[in-house]
Amino acid sequence: MRVELRCCLDKFFTALTWLIIFAIIIVLLLILGPILSKGTSAVLFTDTVEFRKMQVALFSRGNEKQLFAEKNQTAAARQKVYDAIDNFKNGIDTKALTEKVRNLYRRCGQELRAKNLSNQQYTEIRAILKDIRDRLEIAFASNDKNKILENIGYVIQYRQDERFNGTSAHEFFTIAENFSKSVENTDLAKLSEYTKELQEVENLLTQLFGPRPGLPSAATAINQFGATRLDLAQSLLDKILWKEQWVTKENQKSLVKTRTSRSQGFAGTQIEPIFEYLKNDLDKMMLPKFKFYWQYFIDDSTPGHYFGGIGPEILGTLLLTLLSMVFVIPLGVISAAYLTEFSSDNLIIKIIRICINSLAGVPSIIFGLFGLAFFVLFLLPAFGFASKPCILTASMTLSILTLPVMIRSSEEAIKAVPATYKEASLALGAGKFKTFILVTLPAALPGILTGVILSLSRVAGETAPILFTGAVALGPVPRSIFDSTRTLSYGSYDMAVGDRLAMMVPHNQYGMVASLILLVLCLNAMAIILRTKLFKRLHGH
Amino acid sequence: MNDAKLNMAAISAADALKRQPLVLNYKQELGKFLAHHIGQAALLLITCTSVFSVLLIFYFIIKEAFPFLQQFSIIEFLTSIGWYPQAHPPQFGALSLIAGSFYVTITAMIIAVPAGIFAAVFLSDIVSFKVQSIVKPIIELLAAIPSVAYGFFACLVFAPWMQRHLGFSTGVNALNASIILAVMALPTIISVAQDSISAVGRELREASYGLGATRMETIFKVLIPAAHSGIIAAVILGMMRAIGETMVVWMASGNAAKIPSPWWDLTQSVRTMTATIAGDMGETAKGSEHYRALFAIGLLLLITTLAMNLLSEYFLSRTITKSRGRK
Repeated sequence: MRVELRCCLDKFFTALTWLIIFAIIIVLLLILGPILSKGTSAVLFTDTVEFRKMQVALFSRGNEKQLFAEKNQTAAARQKVYDAIDNFKNGIDTKALTEKVRNLYRRCGQELRAKNLSNQQYTEIRAILKDIRDRLEIAFASNDKNKILENIGYVIQYRQDERFNGTSAHEFFTIAENFSKSVENTDLAKLSEYTKELQEVENLLTQLFGPRPGLPSAATAINQFGATRLDLAQSLLDKILWKEQWVTKENQKSLVKTRTSRSQGFAGTQIEPIFEYLKNDLDKMMLPKFKFYWQYFIDDSTPGHYFGGIGPEILGTLLLTLLSMVFVIPLGVISAAYLTEFSSDNLIIKIIRICINSLAGVPSIIFGLFGLAFFVLFLLPAFGFASKPCILTASMTLSILTLPVMIRSSEEAIKAVPATYKEASLALGAGKFKTFILVTLPAALPGILTGVILSLSRVAGETAPILFTGAVALGPVPRSIFDSTRTLSYGSYDMAVGDRLAMMVPHNQYGMVASLILLVLCLNAMAIILRTKLFKRLHGH
Repeated sequence: MNDAKLNMAAISAADALKRQPLVLNYKQELGKFLAHHIGQAALLLITCTSVFSVLLIFYFIIKEAFPFLQQFSIIEFLTSIGWYPQAHPPQFGALSLIAGSFYVTITAMIIAVPAGIFAAVFLSDIVSFKVQSIVKPIIELLAAIPSVAYGFFACLVFAPWMQRHLGFSTGVNALNASIILAVMALPTIISVAQDSISAVGRELREASYGLGATRMETIFKVLIPAAHSGIIAAVILGMMRAIGETMVVWMASGNAAKIPSPWWDLTQSVRTMTATIAGDMGETAKGSEHYRALFAIGLLLLITTLAMNLLSEYFLSRTITKSRGRK
């Protein structure tokens, strides 16, 4: 081969390895980037007045006086929308109108009777009222514009009639006027379409603003409040402004997504301006404010993690990891000490080492099975406890899982202590055991601590071993180590695939898994810093 | 004054020596002897926790799986395809699950092994120590991310992306799981392979360069052949990571217990052994046939990984003796 070609190939190879390293780094960024950035939005976001309402109602947190003022302010701004819808409904919801007119007629009759009129007068007025009622009903039932206007016009001529003073009859005229107004602007042929669309808009408004004031409050927390975050509110607004549909188009097999403007659908009606109003004045209705919601890390959550934070998950993770450390640190350090300092290289040690390596290679789900079969179904009943998955069994399972990590890192830490330290101690007359306790162990302690932190981070992230041994997706905060608990890792899994409610709050989904990643990464960073410091201390001089 | 003090000290030391002879009497000797050996034995016992753990794991997995293995034939368990534990009569054919594990592991290895070896060579032979000290923690970071976070990424970010941009019928499929498993196995492969390539003696490199070989030729013709047992061990360890991984495959592989047809179609959903255990165990009654079948799958998984572990140990031990021998 020619030299140039060989050099070229060599350069090409070097470039290829650089490329691969960059690809790995990019993959890491691609994985961490979206999770962490979306996860941050669980804590840092722009909240709305609904969020403040939710905080006061569910977590009794926040300034109630200020909230009261804000509530009034937003309610006033929202009322415009509701009024417009109500007015429009007067024109199209004829069933309700008919009912209303009938009730009104009955009420007027009672009022007349109370007025002490002569018999003749009473019958006369009553007859007119009945006529008004019937004409209105005819108008409501009709689809013909002219007929409606004719009937309404007939009703309205009685407006100035003084005989009706002192009764509620004037309401007939307001109803009639409103109806004629909306009928004038409405295309009656599209009535059913309007009703359907309006229903959709109203549902979306309930999601955006929460239940309408005056209506009984919803049973579940999810339905009690509107959009708590500005991004959520804006996406809902987008849904209100634009209607998305999947339609079949010519020349194309699959359905095509189209967006049509809702305000066009309502063109010419009283509803039309509210779309513009919503678009421009959403801020007035929602009062967005930037929020640093640090309580996310301590708050409990409503079912499905719809509102609230990940407090119980963090507590559960901490409990599990710390308890498993209680089991694994003594075992790991003693094992490492024995393997490095007190044993000779014989067959038993070889077997022990093979077992440690095998233990490190056992898949994590097998630990889960083992924990179920041994700790939950065998050990707990053997000691007279109820045989159910709990924090104790989960942390024991995790401690066996992390034992090899602990042993290996402690061994390395003990081996890294310079031999001169031990020799000096032995020369001063201390025994092997004393040397270990007083000289080697303190010198190796930072290294052992690094191992502890690494095992902590491993334990915090494990999910498979605790699936059957103590983790639950929903449940109360644990009261003792014999209760099962929620954890960050299992919660992340459950929110990603198991929970349909969680799909509606992606910020909480990402927030959970981002907290887990951050916890683990912080632990790892601590370990790395500790390791470099230790390296400097033992070898720096 | 000083002299007097020193004298006093010397006298008291001598007195102490007289009172406590250097030679121990038999009682003290026996005490020390017992303390030493009992201490040693206690330490050994504690150290044997890992041995007991391995034995207990084996015992309990076998104990729970045994009735199933007695009742159904092992051959049928390993060779039939249908996994219908809820059917009447239930069918427990693990072949499709084994195939699922095989699919995702092999595909992951096809992606991860070349990348891992190249990265290992990069770290050991191509860049300076400074770049190495930056890149290494980044790769360790990949290993530190919890598997459930990878699974989360696979099913909420990667799967929709695949479905939208690559036109697959489903985003949760064998390919998705394989790619994520490859990323997860990379750190293991890189670190073990790098260790073994770095362990190759300096003389070999210098001899190769001295003969006029370029860096690429040195790497491919000298270093990788010399370090091959370590690299094989790295690949085996990476495979173990991929086979034993639960959360990612559970969340990203689609969990359809069937063998893809045509066989090369990776865009179909598969179901692995680990995902089956994780997914089904929550729904079974303790002690039922289904429960025992899951333990049987666990046993199969355990035996596979332990065999692979021993194999990797063998290859790793060969690298150590070899490099020692050459020196």
